[in-house]
Amino acid sequence: MSVALANPGVLTDRAERLGAPAYFELLMNLTRREVRGRYSQSLFGIGWAIAQPLATMAVFTLVFSRLGQIPSGGVPYPIFAYAALVPWFFFSNSVSSGTLSLVTYRNIVTKTYFPREIVPLAQVCSRLIDFSAAAALYTVLMAYYGIALGRWAAMAPLFFVLLVLFTVAVTMTTSAVNVFYRDVNPVVQIALQLWLYLTPVAYPLSAVPARFRLLFVVNPLTAIVEGFRASIVFNRPPDWSLVSISSAIILVLFIAAFTMFKYMDKYFADVI
Amino acid sequence: MPASVRLDRVSKRYRAGRSRTFVDLIGSRIDSVRGQSRDVQSASRGRVDSTIWALRDVDLEVAQGAALGIIGRNGAGKTTLLKLISRVTWPTSGTVRVAGHVVSLIELGAGFHPELTGRENVYLGAGLFGLRRREIDRCFDDIVQFADVERLIDTPMKRYSSGLYARLGFSVAIFSRPDVVLVDEVLAVGDAAFRRRALEALRRLIGEGKTVLFISHDMWNVRRLCDQIVWMEDGRVRAQGPAGEVAERYLNEVNLAALENRATALQSHRGGTGEVRYTDVDLVDDVGRPTSMIEPGDSLVVRAGYRAEHPVPNPVFRIAIVDVDTGLVVSTATSKAAALPDRIDGGGLVECRFPRLPLRPRQYVLRLSIADQHDLGSYDVVTAGPRFAVRGGGRGVDGLADEDDGLVSLPFEFAHRAAAVSVNPR
Repeated sequence: MSVALANPGVLTDRAERLGAPAYFELLMNLTRREVRGRYSQSLFGIGWAIAQPLATMAVFTLVFSRLGQIPSGGVPYPIFAYAALVPWFFFSNSVSSGTLSLVTYRNIVTKTYFPREIVPLAQVCSRLIDFSAAAALYTVLMAYYGIALGRWAAMAPLFFVLLVLFTVAVTMTTSAVNVFYRDVNPVVQIALQLWLYLTPVAYPLSAVPARFRLLFVVNPLTAIVEGFRASIVFNRPPDWSLVSISSAIILVLFIAAFTMFKYMDKYFADVI
Repeated sequence: MPASVRLDRVSKRYRAGRSRTFVDLIGSRIDSVRGQSRDVQSASRGRVDSTIWALRDVDLEVAQGAALGIIGRNGAGKTTLLKLISRVTWPTSGTVRVAGHVVSLIELGAGFHPELTGRENVYLGAGLFGLRRREIDRCFDDIVQFADVERLIDTPMKRYSSGLYARLGFSVAIFSRPDVVLVDEVLAVGDAAFRRRALEALRRLIGEGKTVLFISHDMWNVRRLCDQIVWMEDGRVRAQGPAGEVAERYLNEVNLAALENRATALQSHRGGTGEVRYTDVDLVDDVGRPTSMIEPGDSLVVRAGYRAEHPVPNPVFRIAIVDVDTGLVVSTATSKAAALPDRIDGGGLVECRFPRLPLRPRQYVLRLSIADQHDLGSYDVVTAGPRFAVRGGGRGVDGLADEDDGLVSLPFEFAHRAAAVSVNPR
C-alpha cells in the first residue's frame, strides 16, 4: 500500500495527498524519462555526456595552456581543467535545461497535481548521470597521467553536496521565474557563457588579480571548483575561509529559492 | 454519506488576453499619462489589466460515492472547477476541500513520453497519479488488458494511434486507486466499444464508493452515469438537482437558443447542379403556424418552396430528419408518395407532413435534396436546413413507449411465458 497522507474520510485543503516515498519515486521516474528521452535514438548515447567536457578540455588546453601560458600548479593542464569542467558542466547543463523544464512539462503541470519542484529537480538528477559518466573518465585520465588520489580526496563529497545544493537553488529560481517571464531563458543562457569565464575553471584562482577577488569570493562556484581541484588534483586542504563563506551563501540561497518556489507554484498552471 | 468534495464560496480570476511584455508596461505608463488608459485599443494591446472571473462564489458539496455530472456551455467554468479540485490551480478566494486521493482525467496520457515504450509509460503515468512501483507491478496486467494494447506494450508510444494513446491513459488512471475521479470530456476519444467499457469502468468505481465528477456535452452519457447534475453558467451554479430534470431544462434552453438564429439556414452547405433549387423551407404545425419547438407526439409539416430554371421531368424531393448528435433518423422521398406531376417548371411548393412525430426530446435538423428522375444526380442539396427541437417535459407520447434513452418512442408489447421444461444450460 502506498503511504497516503489523505484520508478518504476527511476533507482537507492541503495539496500533497501522498507520502514522500511516492513523490520520491515520481522524481526517479521523471529523471529516467528525461535521461531516456535525451539519449534514445542516438548512436553514441551516454557518450555525449563525456564528449562535452572532454572536447572543452582539449580546446582549453590548446588556448589557455599552450597559447595563453596559464599556470596549472604543477599538474598536467588537461587534468587541471577537466577536474573543474565536470562540476561546471553539471551546473551549467542543469540550469540550462532546468530553466525551461516547467514550461516544457506544461502538459502535466496544467493537468495533474504533484509537488512542482519535482520537475526542476528531475533535471538536476538527470545531469547526475552525466556527472557520474564524466567522473568515471576522470579516473581514466588520472591513471593515464599517473596521478593518485590522496587523503584530501575525502573532502570531495563536501564539494559535491555544495555543488548540488547550489545547482538546485539556481535551477529552481530560474525555472519558476521563467514561467512568468520567458526572458529568463535567454538571460540565463548568456549569463552561463560569461559565468564560465568568471569562475576559475580554465585558470587557477591564484592567477586572479587581488582587485577582482571579491567578485570571485561571492561566486559559490569558485569555492566548489577550487575545492574539487584541491582535494582530487592537488591533494591539499581547501581554502577554508572561502569554503565557509560559500557554504553560508549557498545555504541562504537554497532556503530562499525553495521558499520562493513554493510561494509561486500555486500560480504556475494559470500563467504557464 | 460524508462529503468527498466541498467548495465554499470559491471564486477564480484569470488575467485575460496575452501576457504583458515590458513594452506593454511602458506603453501603459505612456497611455495613463496621456489619459487614454481606458480605451479599447490600449486594452487590446495588453496595456490595461483585464481579468476574467472563471468562477464566482461557487458552493458545492459532493457526497462520497456520488456521481455528479457537470454541464454547461464552453467557458462556463466547468474545467476550472475540476482544476481547482485536482489542485492544479488554486482559488482566488474561498476554500476547496477534498477527501482522499484525487485522479484527474483532464487529458488522457498527459504524462506519457512518446520516446518511451508503453510499458515504461505505464510506470511513469501511474507514478504521476501517485502509484508506487510495487503497486503498478501488481495491476500492470490489468491496465494493459483493459486498454487492450498487449501487442504494442513494448513499442515506443510515438508509434501509437491517438485512440490507443488515450486508451492507455484512461486505463492507467482508473487503476490508480483514486478516491475521487475527475473526468473532463475524455470519452470523446476512442471507438464506441472503448467508450462503453470506459463508462462501465467508471460506473464500477462509483459502485465501489468512489466519487466521480463528470464533464460532458453528451447528455445521454451524463444521464447514464450520474444521478445529480450541476449546470454551470458564466462561472456560477445555474442549477443543481436530479440528472434527468436538470438535463432536460438545459437541453430545452440550448435548443431554443440554437433555433433563434436559423435565418441563414438555406444559404450554407448547398450542393447540386442548381437546375432546381429550394427557395424557402418552413416548419409549421397542423394549422399552419410557424413552429420550431414541438411537444413529443405533435405533428410537423415541412413546407418547401422550389424554383426550376427549365422544365425538369420527374424530380425526386427528399426530406430527412437528422439528429444533431447521432445522425439520420428518418428519410422521405416524393418518388414513393407519387404526389407529383410528371414534370415541373417554374415555382412550386412541396409539403411533407409527419403526423404524431414520435421523437424523443432532442435537437434535429432537416436535410433536403432534389434528385433527378433516375436518382443519379442532385439538382439541390441542403445539408443543414432549418432546425427544430422536441421539448422535454417527461410527458412522452400517449400510448407509446418512452424510455429515457433512444431517439424515438415506439409501440411495443412484452410477452412472457414460463418455460415448460428446464432451460438447456448450454
